[in-house]
Amino acid sequence: MSPFFSNKRLIVLLVCMIILVALIGYSMSDRRALSWPEQFVTDTVGSVQSAFSRPAHFVAGFFDNISDMRNLYEENKILKSHLDEYASLQVELNDLRRRNDELEGAVDLQDDFELMDYTVRSALVIHRSPDRWNEQVGINKGAQDGIEENMAVMTSGGLIGKIDQVSQFSSSIQLLSDQDVTNRISAMVDGDDSVYGFIEGIDHETGYLQFTKIDIEAELEDGQTVSTSGLGGVFPKNLTIGEIVDYEYDEFGLTQTAYVEPSADFYHLDYVMVIERSAPTIDDDINDDSGDDES
Amino acid sequence: MIIRYSTFIALFILFILEGTVYQVFAPDFHGFPYLLIPRWMFMLLLIAGIYRGRGYGLFYGIIFGVFYDIIYSQVLGVYTFGMGLLAYLLCNSIPIVKKNLSLIILSVTLGVVLLEYYVYGMMTLLGKTELSHEIFLSKRFFPTMIMNFIILAILAFPLRRWFQYFDRKMQDFN
Repeated sequence: MSPFFSNKRLIVLLVCMIILVALIGYSMSDRRALSWPEQFVTDTVGSVQSAFSRPAHFVAGFFDNISDMRNLYEENKILKSHLDEYASLQVELNDLRRRNDELEGAVDLQDDFELMDYTVRSALVIHRSPDRWNEQVGINKGAQDGIEENMAVMTSGGLIGKIDQVSQFSSSIQLLSDQDVTNRISAMVDGDDSVYGFIEGIDHETGYLQFTKIDIEAELEDGQTVSTSGLGGVFPKNLTIGEIVDYEYDEFGLTQTAYVEPSADFYHLDYVMVIERSAPTIDDDINDDSGDDES
Repeated sequence: MIIRYSTFIALFILFILEGTVYQVFAPDFHGFPYLLIPRWMFMLLLIAGIYRGRGYGLFYGIIFGVFYDIIYSQVLGVYTFGMGLLAYLLCNSIPIVKKNLSLIILSVTLGVVLLEYYVYGMMTLLGKTELSHEIFLSKRFFPTMIMNFIILAILAFPLRRWFQYFDRKMQDFN
């Protein structure tokens, strides 16, 4: 019997390993945009994936609808009781908005943009990585539809993640639960005074998001709402992330870490909204300045 | 024509199903505590490699490894190398394996075991995961293996019939 690995095969194997290491190094490098062969493959396969995932979402939605129908009556009663509250809130909101405009006019605030403003594009989720080593989801809109890297993505429940890689007709979302070290979002606690920190991945044992780097003197409470701060430079302000369920001092006792129960469902995703912030981002300003310097 | 490319088409459809339809109905999203990772495409790939020769296995392993890397995982090269190498190692198309269904099932199961461990090792090495070995075994490895093994055991016999039919067709063709 001939030896299993002859000399020639061994050399081929070693060359393959070198290629493997080179490829890994290439794909792990920071801020890499998709190369054109990758874009070609993702777009071609993406169109097939949309054809498969549309009926799948439809069937799943049908079963959801049936289970919804069973507790329709209960839900309706609760919603009706909220409705009265809603009317009074609306009046209060209008009043506050008018006063805010007046006050802004009085102190001459010259801000022509708002951190809160954004435009929305909706997209269909077409795939999710079957080996759960990363939490990534593909959608059927890409650069041709105006999607850009780092845009916020949310469902009706709240923020779910950001756009990671953009191809021409499809792109991938990195969910908040992804363990990657660069997956970090500037967030704040909605309270009497705002408390700032970062959302950094998920705690796998509890399934809660980790809200870290909170000031040690900040007073946290269970049930406070956490939302994006808009200070990271790419997301708009006030996109809901979730509610605080627990908090503790971090391992060094210098900051606090809170655990946030996400308000959006990361598992049953069908249609998502891609958020483009209207306020100019920091990158634009920097690029403008450097452009001026060069010219 | 269809017969000639049927293996490729079947592999591609399985590849798509794993990422789209299965993910909509995945049991761990509906409250099931264990992760069931579908490796159907890889299993069919190994069976096709066993019946049609090592070269086919290697070729399909690399092609679908590239697909898997580009579309489902963000680190290029991991699946390309793993699927190519495992397909090359495990696709023994000697008659004794071809005739014995249990040997086929055994080598395909071994392939899935090695692939799961290889990918876990790579992800740990690259710092993409901090999953401890016990949790990996209990929450991910055993449930995945059981699910894949059951599907393989059910489908192995019809698949063998199909490949034998396929062989005969190809002989008529030539």
